[in-house]
Amino acid sequence: MTIQDAWQPFREALEAPLKKAREWKSKTGGKVVGHLVPDVPEEIIHAAGALPVALEGTGVQITRAQAHIPGYTCNNAMAALELGLRGDLDVLDAMVIPYLCDTTRNLFHIWDHCFPKMNNEFLRLPKRIGYPGAESYLRAEFTRFMEAMGNLTGSEVVESELTESLILYNKSRTRLREAYARHQRQPSVWTAERVQMLIGSSLRAPRADHLAWMDDLPWENNASEDSESRMSLYVRGKIWDPPGILGILDSLGFQVVRDEVVTGFRSIAQDAALNGDPINALVKRHLAATPYPGYHLKPSELVERFVERVRESNARSVLFLNPKFCEAAAFDAPDFQEGLKKAGIPSLVLETSAGGAPVGQIRIRLEAFREMIAGDLP
Amino acid sequence: MAHQQGKFIAYVNAFTPVELAYAMNMIPIYPENHAAIIGARRQTVEVAQAAENMGYSMDLCAYARCDIGSIKTGISPTWGLPKPDLIMISNSQCGTLAKWFEVISRIYDAPMVLIDVPQSGRGERDTAAEQYVRSQLEDLVGVMENITGRSLDQDAFRETIRLSKEASDLWTRVLETGAVTPSPITVFDQFIAMAPIVAQRGTQVAVDFYKNLLAELDQRVAEGKGAIENERFRLFWDNLPIWPELRRLSLFLEDRGISLVTSIYTWAWANMAVGVEDPLGDWTTQYLYTTNMHMRRRVDAYVEIAEKYHLDGFLYHSNRSCKYVSQDIPEVRRAVTDLTGIPGLIIEADHNDPRLYSPETLENHIDGFLDLISSQRKED
Repeated sequence: MTIQDAWQPFREALEAPLKKAREWKSKTGGKVVGHLVPDVPEEIIHAAGALPVALEGTGVQITRAQAHIPGYTCNNAMAALELGLRGDLDVLDAMVIPYLCDTTRNLFHIWDHCFPKMNNEFLRLPKRIGYPGAESYLRAEFTRFMEAMGNLTGSEVVESELTESLILYNKSRTRLREAYARHQRQPSVWTAERVQMLIGSSLRAPRADHLAWMDDLPWENNASEDSESRMSLYVRGKIWDPPGILGILDSLGFQVVRDEVVTGFRSIAQDAALNGDPINALVKRHLAATPYPGYHLKPSELVERFVERVRESNARSVLFLNPKFCEAAAFDAPDFQEGLKKAGIPSLVLETSAGGAPVGQIRIRLEAFREMIAGDLP
Repeated sequence: MAHQQGKFIAYVNAFTPVELAYAMNMIPIYPENHAAIIGARRQTVEVAQAAENMGYSMDLCAYARCDIGSIKTGISPTWGLPKPDLIMISNSQCGTLAKWFEVISRIYDAPMVLIDVPQSGRGERDTAAEQYVRSQLEDLVGVMENITGRSLDQDAFRETIRLSKEASDLWTRVLETGAVTPSPITVFDQFIAMAPIVAQRGTQVAVDFYKNLLAELDQRVAEGKGAIENERFRLFWDNLPIWPELRRLSLFLEDRGISLVTSIYTWAWANMAVGVEDPLGDWTTQYLYTTNMHMRRRVDAYVEIAEKYHLDGFLYHSNRSCKYVSQDIPEVRRAVTDLTGIPGLIIEADHNDPRLYSPETLENHIDGFLDLISSQRKED
């Protein structure tokens, strides 16, 4: 297998996840469970014997969804609905919509109305993640979710099976973190685009297969590149949107040293502990994760902790990929930027997705941002 | 001034236990109401632009932009709002408020308590969520006691609850008069008259106000006097008002013989009463299952209202500033019309930002809708 070929299965899994899910289904006879990231515990779905497939809105042309949900809705919700309405999600046996914000709450209602024959699950995630009661609530909710998945597949999930799933997913995350670290040392081979493709595809492909495919990647060449000329960047956002954004960052000489994107590093940052009750381990991992913008902590700490995370990454600049119409991200951005400004770290907010800036314009803005930070301007 | 009188300031939203605040010697303040007044006074553009210049996207709720911009500029129809000692909020109403109040908490360096209410998918009972919400309410009492330096006065609490229930019951009866033909009150009147039930429930002021209002409405009903002179059409208003167009729209509708007889928005405060036996339990149930209205329950309620209020049509305000109430409107409209045969019109606007809609377009759409209803009547 050539080096180029080694990336191919990941590309296919990322670009045509539903086609791949269909193949998996016909081969195994298993159930396919779609979900809107973030924070759906894939391990529970896996332990029930089903295939979790993440859905996201990037690059989907909206034509039907606006008859069911207004245009001032984020692309992630609209695109999921669009895919369903045009029949692309027929392969799904169930759909999980996590409660993250008002839009996901409403989307569930609409989804349930539009697709009554699908097994639709609303995963009620607590927002007050620093509050002790959130932990016991989430434990009850994950337990309920596990029962629902067991009912779907007809196979009650027992603790040992869930632990096996945790082990598999931990191994996968460990490997993905190694790939992320390679991007720091060899950014021309392990580009941001390729590494994020690895992470994104892991949320869609059978995880054991994905882990095996990773063995064929070019791990042998371990020599560090000179990355002095690259501009270190920290990224906060929901998904990598618009399509091609990572290629733009690579080509402009940015190096993503850390990100909080929910289909990016955030999804691989932490493993679940293996020395106890597996549901508890998933709950603790969830509560320890970098808070999604819709989650609540002491407001001043939200800003302080963010700036601290950026500082720890040694990034020289920060990029916010704020999906248009995402209220949580838009409310955070001004104070987060102000916090960065006080710390002497330049930042840029890009409003992405539906109705956001076209890709060409985004490239120009990023180019200007890089020039400004590097002091390259005449 | 509040501190000089031994009182504290609590910022709250519509669905928070304000009765507790009154009993704890705290004055509840509603940033939402302040923003609505800015909208009704047509000051939105000036203050919202100040927030947008701070980096707050124009896609965010216009109430939030008005409130943040007002703090920034000092422009306010009420000479601003006092600095909060506590910010308490439940996200039973929407998630937007939680994020908006986080910003205010940072501006004033004020403590914030979020009562996190897990939204139900289909309105099913969730006992774990009940424990979660209740424990947060119990903790809120402790936070208030720490801030005020006094324990909750149970007698004062019971009295506040009694007054709150009385006001809520009176408000419910006020709204029910809209079922009479001709209706003695329109939704525009309700938008104005709702201020005490929102901001002063738990006080004698609210009780007295609604007693007087109800007496006036009963008198009108007895005399067969409608709120508008020639009631031809009876419509339902969905969602928040368009505050900057309150007067224009009310005159436009009155001119065409349209009486807006009821609205889900004003009904939101109709069943807010809690009992003295277990108020925290009652609030828990309310926030989880009542104020947090999921789509199916909303459709069922509209079908019932259509019959009770003899509706000719529904006006659905697709409100850019309130995704929570607006995003499922296309499905609600479809389902309600399927079940009742009563048509509904979706109008695209905003509750506070006149830059986001055109009143002329709204009026044209409503005229077209009236033609439809009129032609249906002829066919009948």
